[in-house]
Amino acid sequence: MIWLYLDPGSGSFLIQLLIAGFAGIVIFVGARWRKIRKFFNKNKIQDEETNDEDEDD
Amino acid sequence: MMKTKTTRLGASFRDPSGFLFTRAGVLYRQVNQVYADNYTLLMTSGLYEKLVKTGLLIQHSESDTQPADEKHSFKVLCPERVPFISYPYEWSFGQLKDAALATLSIQKRALKLGMSLKDASVYNIQFHRGKPILIDTLSFESLQEGEPWVAYRQFCQHFLAPLALMAYRDVRLNQLLRIYIDGVPLDLASQLLPRRTRWNLGLSTHIHLHARLQRRYADIAVTEARAGRKISKETLLGLIESLRATVRRLEWKPAGTEWADYYIANNYTGFAFDHKKVLVGDWLSKIAPKTIWDLGANTGFFSRVAAETGAYVISSDIDPAAVELNYRQVKENNEQNLLPLVLNLTNPSPSIGWQNRERDSFLQRGSVDAVLALALVHHLAISNNVPLEQVAEFFAVCGEWLIVEFVPKSDSQVQKLLRNRLDIFSEYSRAGFESAFGLWYSIQSSSAVRESERWLYLMKRKSVRT
Repeated sequence: MIWLYLDPGSGSFLIQLLIAGFAGIVIFVGARWRKIRKFFNKNKIQDEETNDEDEDD
Repeated sequence: MMKTKTTRLGASFRDPSGFLFTRAGVLYRQVNQVYADNYTLLMTSGLYEKLVKTGLLIQHSESDTQPADEKHSFKVLCPERVPFISYPYEWSFGQLKDAALATLSIQKRALKLGMSLKDASVYNIQFHRGKPILIDTLSFESLQEGEPWVAYRQFCQHFLAPLALMAYRDVRLNQLLRIYIDGVPLDLASQLLPRRTRWNLGLSTHIHLHARLQRRYADIAVTEARAGRKISKETLLGLIESLRATVRRLEWKPAGTEWADYYIANNYTGFAFDHKKVLVGDWLSKIAPKTIWDLGANTGFFSRVAAETGAYVISSDIDPAAVELNYRQVKENNEQNLLPLVLNLTNPSPSIGWQNRERDSFLQRGSVDAVLALALVHHLAISNNVPLEQVAEFFAVCGEWLIVEFVPKSDSQVQKLLRNRLDIFSEYSRAGFESAFGLWYSIQSSSAVRESERWLYLMKRKSVRT
């Protein structure tokens, strides 16, 4: 394993693994939630997301 | 041939991948051998091109100049230079938030192309042409499949914690970054944040729980703590998405502050304001400065008059709300040559960090061709008791030309400052002002501002103090 010039911190590593456990659920719920919000509040969400238009190219 | 002096930059020592140096006034970045593979990957994976195209990474060219440390050198780069280096404790809420989102956006793109940010320092982000940009070309490494994000802790300390504190507790808490050079410690942030932030899924995970786990695993090595568990690239993207949603939801609205509504509630008539605008514009076009500091700029009205001449303008004010409004205008109008900053002139940013050389003080980052000091002198001279002669000296250190406004005691703004005070300012008169400033400057032009009692001066610094 290549170690880096910054100490990533054990707690900071572990929390990512914990999040990984929940991630599937959170991402799934999050994506659905955004879709629901988008439906009800189209303009506002669009404003927020203008920065990302090119992100998936 | 005489050898030109090479100077390594004080902030550039942590990362063994390379460092910055200047030679004959040109900025270079040496890439060390140890970083060769990662640099090559950055350039060949399409990531460099993509990030430069979207304005997220500073552009560079490869240079054939002699390396500063030949033994370790792989390449020398000549990066495009940012006109003015600023620090997060000088940014408004919106600036720090946009810098955070830019960092996450960079990481997301890097992950997609098989790389990852190995650091997420707030000091690697600067404002260039009105937008946040990564200036450290050596921040990327090839993605190690299964590894967590090594810079996650740094991102939370440098960006998320100060933003959350600003949004939920007090906008002035970004000043903690002046004390903690590696970002706000998460246990401190967790204690300072209101209890209700525990109901915010993002903050409860990335700050509160993160702080608890840090404490609990402080003495355990990373390899032991993770027990061989791996993390997929999709999950890393999910982590970035979660951080991004958390940052996005943080809001702060400038309202009910000292200055933000100043232009409506002051002594000016419309005529006086217009006259001041004409005078400032005329004088600036006459002296044609390339760089301007507008000190006490409020929301940046006169900074914009100055920016119209094509100069690069630093537009600073003590009030974070005014600076926030200023920055919002920069974004809205896509202004390229105006940088709003929060700055308290009675205690400007000091030099901090290792050997006091990592982050330069405000004055070390100057000086400029011209200084604008409109409706400012009375605040320094009366609220802060600075003798007029010293106010003049400070401006003279800042720049060669000065456009300065004198606001007499009879003005309601000065009366307001004096209402609870003994008037110890016998020198504070137009004659006293001219004689104090005359020690440092020669007055080139002056004019009463129409329909007001205020005076505007154009002054040039004397080469030798008389």
